[in-house]
Amino acid sequence: MTDKLKSSSLAILLASGISLTAMNAAIAEEITVWLWDMNFNGATMIEAAERYKKINPDVTVNIVDFAKADVEQKLQTQLASGTTEGLPDIVLIEDYGAQKYLLSFPGSFEPLNDVVDYSGFADYKVALASVDGQTYSLPFDSGVTGLFYRSDIYGDAGYEADDLENITWERYIEISKDVKSKTGYPTFPIDINDAGMLRILMQSAGSWYFTPEGDLNLKDNPAFHAALDTYSQVLQSPEIYKPISGWTEYVSSFTSGDVASVITGVWMTATIKASGMPGQWGVAPIPRLGSVEGSVNASNLGGSSWYVLASSEEKDSAKDFLGSVWGTDSDFYQKILVNQGAVGSLLAARDGAAYQASDEYFGGQAVWQNFSEWLGNIPGVNYGIFTNEVDSAVAVQLPALAKGASVDDAIEKINAQAQSQTQ
Amino acid sequence: MIWPIIWSLWMSFQTGRGMNTSFGGFSNIKRLLGDPVFFRALVNTLTFLLIQVPVMIFLGLVLAVVLNSPTIKGRAFFRTAIFLPCVTSLVAYSILFKSMFATDGVINNTLIAVHLLGDPISWLGQPFYAKVVIILAITWRWTGYNMIFYLAALQNIDPAIYEAARIDGVPRRAQFFRIIIPILKPVILFTAIISTIGTLQLFDEVNNITAGGPADATLTLSLYIYNLTFRFMPSFGYAATVSYVIVLLVAVLSYVQFFVARDRK
Amino acid sequence: MTLFDRVQRAMVYVLLSLAAFVSIFPFFWMIVGSTNTSADIIRGKASFGDQLLINIVNFLASVDLFSVLFNSTFIAVTTTFFTLVVSSLAGYGFEMFRSAFRERVFAVLLLMLSIPFAAIMVPLFVMMARMGMINTYSAIILPTISSIFIIFYFRQSTKAFPGELRDAARIDGLNEWQIFFRIYIPVMRSTYAAATIIVFMANWNNYLWPLIVLQTNEMKTITLVISSLASAYYPDFGLVMVGTILATLPTLVVFFVLQRLFVEGMVGSIK
Repeated sequence: MTDKLKSSSLAILLASGISLTAMNAAIAEEITVWLWDMNFNGATMIEAAERYKKINPDVTVNIVDFAKADVEQKLQTQLASGTTEGLPDIVLIEDYGAQKYLLSFPGSFEPLNDVVDYSGFADYKVALASVDGQTYSLPFDSGVTGLFYRSDIYGDAGYEADDLENITWERYIEISKDVKSKTGYPTFPIDINDAGMLRILMQSAGSWYFTPEGDLNLKDNPAFHAALDTYSQVLQSPEIYKPISGWTEYVSSFTSGDVASVITGVWMTATIKASGMPGQWGVAPIPRLGSVEGSVNASNLGGSSWYVLASSEEKDSAKDFLGSVWGTDSDFYQKILVNQGAVGSLLAARDGAAYQASDEYFGGQAVWQNFSEWLGNIPGVNYGIFTNEVDSAVAVQLPALAKGASVDDAIEKINAQAQSQTQ
Repeated sequence: MIWPIIWSLWMSFQTGRGMNTSFGGFSNIKRLLGDPVFFRALVNTLTFLLIQVPVMIFLGLVLAVVLNSPTIKGRAFFRTAIFLPCVTSLVAYSILFKSMFATDGVINNTLIAVHLLGDPISWLGQPFYAKVVIILAITWRWTGYNMIFYLAALQNIDPAIYEAARIDGVPRRAQFFRIIIPILKPVILFTAIISTIGTLQLFDEVNNITAGGPADATLTLSLYIYNLTFRFMPSFGYAATVSYVIVLLVAVLSYVQFFVARDRK
Repeated sequence: MTLFDRVQRAMVYVLLSLAAFVSIFPFFWMIVGSTNTSADIIRGKASFGDQLLINIVNFLASVDLFSVLFNSTFIAVTTTFFTLVVSSLAGYGFEMFRSAFRERVFAVLLLMLSIPFAAIMVPLFVMMARMGMINTYSAIILPTISSIFIIFYFRQSTKAFPGELRDAARIDGLNEWQIFFRIYIPVMRSTYAAATIIVFMANWNNYLWPLIVLQTNEMKTITLVISSLASAYYPDFGLVMVGTILATLPTLVVFFVLQRLFVEGMVGSIK
């Protein structure tokens, strides 16, 4: 496929009579990539670039890293200004924001359908980057969620791995209270200012703040009601959680052993492994919403994908790069899994050796295989373009819910604020 | 610098998402009046303003006068120490404040140890206490900043004036109110207006320490503008409209401050 | 000295020491942090550790320190110099040559100061792009030079500038420029010192605008680098602390050197 593409672009160049000097200039190409987190996203991109050197030695990849919020600021300012000068060729975008960018800056991103076979990727990752039948992303890291738990603490309380398989939230809250009374450990960290947990709950029930058509889906949405109700039950049981504020405290709550479990995305695996508690951790599927028909023990949190800018002068190379390394190279995904703990969304990679391996840190569990299995079960939902707006509206009601306010009232208020914010 | 401002004024009459904008007349103003989040942000911002501006000016002034007195030993040390918070980077400052005010952080532990508290307070998890933390953080960071302007201005007071006052037996408190304050008036007015503008544009502290939460208790107008521009579906037009609310507030408040400080001749 | 005076003096020292302690503590904690592991920093550990060398090595491995410091210093020094010249001249002019028209211009300027930067960022970016200045030092320096804030500061401070001095200089036959450079600047030394500190600090820490206009690793300033390091999924706060100390020192040195002028300020300069 790569060769075909190259020869066809060569043919076009020749047919359009472009001079030899222009071609020479085109040969030594540099693809600029904006991303955040050098150790995670940056390292995988460097690995990919090295592999692409073997396919096309004339192309170098230039990585510029900023904070995640900064990448978004730069991109948004620049797209809004209508100036393409200085834009990169490839940019990393978080999945929740994908539709927002694609719909508010139409024509700014390049569809990749001609270089990527999307049937080989997790469905939900493809759906979130598609508009009108075109798909714009090379799906990258998955946010498939797991219930990371301290097997030693749960063991002390009398729970085995099997007791956490295929359970409902009702059961999980019961277990949490029991673990607290027997060991004194709260079960998870909760940031009352963050709606992330609620998003996990909702997606596990195959629902979101919006209908597939993009309309608000808050009132009379049984999944949203059940998710908010479950979350408010957790908030009303202060003994089972540790209140924290912000990302740093969140990470430190489980890396320094203050809580017995955490429900989070697979990208947290490397961090947990770095916390120096080998053999004391296990991973179980997340609980499902017992009261919602069709709720599954799998969901998603975060995750991001690569996009090619339509203004890019090197977009053909950029597309070829993404398509040939990121789109097909299963061996590449084994490498980044081992080195960075990055779980990509290419389904074929699941059959590779690294995915089959068991991990002593997690007591010999075949962690990656479990995650890939759950990855296939994540319900696809429409993240829409207003997720952050509704998140804010939800967060405003959380302190009241923690004090026992009625869920129906809260939904009413969330809906009212969301309506005014999403016009 | 004029051109971008005119453009932003024009933008405030545009509606739409991202690049798809069109002329919307007064629709942004209508949206503003029906926007509960805007009013929450406005009330929070004004609360911070009312507490913060007088506190910072008063503390800065007192410290400057004390540190200007030639009889105080170690002035250079104290001046530099009190200025330190201004130069401490935002990253270090926000990690520190968050860890100090964490549920099991040093503040709670100390208060419990001296029996001022029975149970730990979730400082950043409760709307009221989160506001308190922000106020403490701003006071900590900006008092030294105001102090600098007063210190510089105090140099303009001729030592002969103090000498005369001392000989006439004017008590120190009266010296402060009748001599120092009137001479510093232009600079006090300057810091009052600058602090007003700074507080109305309050962003760094709330974005980094509380992210506007919990329940929007620390959401300020500037943070809301930021959210409208970068976190939410980009609506630059509406964000510009909210910005001009700040401009309007500054215009009114500065006018009042100039009026209060006018030369009474 | 009466007993009352003594008590009062003691109280002043106690209060000063308290204020100094509260102010220094976070700075101290930052230095302690640079000697600890990331996990200890998050836990709020307040005692020295043995990680300093490792943190420094890690920091140097992930940051091109020379180019980052050069960029920050070049931008801050250039901007400070031009801002002081341009804005003090403007502030002096507004105060010394008052007219109803200038008052109105000044009021408008003051209002411009109150527009949140986020609101004018997009148009400013377009302007810079049209002038071909994206990813250049000029794009950062130019928009900050005529600082309304500093103009306002000089205008207010000039109110204390003795009018007799200017009149005397005029009689001596100095023209307005000579008055400004030879009389005004030396007399207003402490004002200049304060302004230098403020402007230097503002530009050294400037974040949002450099972030938007700088596009390559070679042009990054230290604030951008630290922000990127601190926002990883699992940030290494040990090296972030090393970075923040490096980012803080220059402003601190500028302050320490210039604060002496506050004491020596005017005394003796008027002859």
